[in-house]
Amino acid sequence: MTYLATFHWGWLLASLLLGLAMGWIAVVHRGQGVSKNTARWLAVLAAALVAAAVTHVIPGRFGYWLDLGLIMFALYLGGCAVGSWLRDRVLSRHQA
Amino acid sequence: MHGLFRWSSKWWPGTIPLAVFWVIAAWTGTAPLEADLAARSNAALKDTVLDKARMAVAGRDVTFAADAFSEEGRRSAVASVEAVPGVRLVNDQTRLVPEAKPFAWSAERDVSRVTLGGSSPLPAIKNRLLEAARAGLGGVEVVDRMNLSRGAPPRFDNAALLLLDQIGKLKDGKVTISDTKVSLAGMARDLGGREAIAAALKNLPEGFSVAANEVKAPPYVFQAYKDPVAVTVTLTGYVPGNEVHAAIAAAAGRKFLREKVVDNLKASVGAPAGFAKAVVPALGALARLSTGTLVVSDREVKLSGDALYEGAALQIRAGLGKDFPQGWQFKPEISVRPAAAAVDATVCQQLFADLLAKAKIRFESGSATIDPDSAALLDRLVETAMRCSTVNIEIAGHTDADGEAGFNQDLSERRAQAVMDYLVNAGLPAARFTPIGYGSTQPLGSNDTDEGRAQNRRIDFVVRKGE
Repeated sequence: MTYLATFHWGWLLASLLLGLAMGWIAVVHRGQGVSKNTARWLAVLAAALVAAAVTHVIPGRFGYWLDLGLIMFALYLGGCAVGSWLRDRVLSRHQA
Repeated sequence: MHGLFRWSSKWWPGTIPLAVFWVIAAWTGTAPLEADLAARSNAALKDTVLDKARMAVAGRDVTFAADAFSEEGRRSAVASVEAVPGVRLVNDQTRLVPEAKPFAWSAERDVSRVTLGGSSPLPAIKNRLLEAARAGLGGVEVVDRMNLSRGAPPRFDNAALLLLDQIGKLKDGKVTISDTKVSLAGMARDLGGREAIAAALKNLPEGFSVAANEVKAPPYVFQAYKDPVAVTVTLTGYVPGNEVHAAIAAAAGRKFLREKVVDNLKASVGAPAGFAKAVVPALGALARLSTGTLVVSDREVKLSGDALYEGAALQIRAGLGKDFPQGWQFKPEISVRPAAAAVDATVCQQLFADLLAKAKIRFESGSATIDPDSAALLDRLVETAMRCSTVNIEIAGHTDADGEAGFNQDLSERRAQAVMDYLVNAGLPAARFTPIGYGSTQPLGSNDTDEGRAQNRRIDFVVRKGE
């Protein structure tokens, strides 16, 4: 993990920033969200992928790409959460 | 918290650029990452002794194949690769270097190269053996056919280095180590090389023993060549020591009439027993030939050349081998020179005078027994007598004035008779010769000096025209 972080820090930072930006926008976004049912299925899929990565069942390059994708996705989610929370704070202060 | 769930349903559009980032990162980053991991893994193995180490990296998984020289070495090598940061899995394809039983190593020398083969315990030892072979054999091509194996006996490297030293002393041959048994075969480069190798083998490391030492010494060769054109006798090859050398040189000086002796002999150990006793008579036989070569190789004497007449050829063929010590072999290849043209009485007398001016027929002191050293001269006299078949010849014996006149008279007669017997034996008709003894009545020089007396002791051939 540390090794991947030092080797791909640029891409991981880009994922984080992307997440921040997406989170920032999502709060005021009016479009269609993901239905609860779909979200549940996506969560199960994500959990399955994490399990596959942790148990090292996928060999070689595909295993490495899975690891990389999951780390980027995790940072993206983290960025989204922080972005949305910040936007929410800014909006509520305006309204007050 | 409720808000976070609400917002999260709208985070999905960002996953599209995220997927693009992911693809680009994977596309551009995989090859450099694999190269980096391979470099780090190889660096981790730098101090580990392995044979045929191969490393293949796919993603973060390393496939590692190598031959290790011990179980601990194998495990620690795998552990070092596993400990490299970033490596996810190690696909372990290592194994132990095969064990050789028996552990056999060899070095073989032929004319132009030395081939090292068999098993060697460790790469470092293998390299040391190759370097030692290159350094010790200066200029000879060294071919490496060794493979690496486990199971070498202790101190194997010392034994192998000692044997590599010995192979320098061989002209061709092979040295082998099989477990702790050492075998040698081949031909030593120099006389004495076999003995030097046997002495060196006493220093083999503890535990090693010589199973077979079949190194042969090169033949002990002595050669003499009589060249009638250059009027020389060339002696080459080996003699056992200075004493024998002097004896052989002196014998050559006595036995050859007028040929100059060119002495290129070298002293060396390893002569067969009875060397001088065989070589001296063989030189006498060579002196009787008009042209010829004498080759003494170990205990085999080969004499080839042309005798002056049939009788001489028969005598040499049959007689020489009898003089040799036990165990010596004689291989004559003697032909007879074609007879020379007949000459008349005047030329005949001239030829006799020429021959007897160059050398004299010698006898044992105070006796009528012809010295064997005079055989060459007598053969020439026989040949000349055959060329002038129409003349009668007086064989005149003379002595110096020492001693009683009666004894001298008798001695001169007996000596003249002995020479005549020799000629008749050689196949000449007795009727053509008259032996006459003159005692000391016809001196050539003064009887008061050694030189003069030596001149007076002589046999003359006087041609009488046939009636």
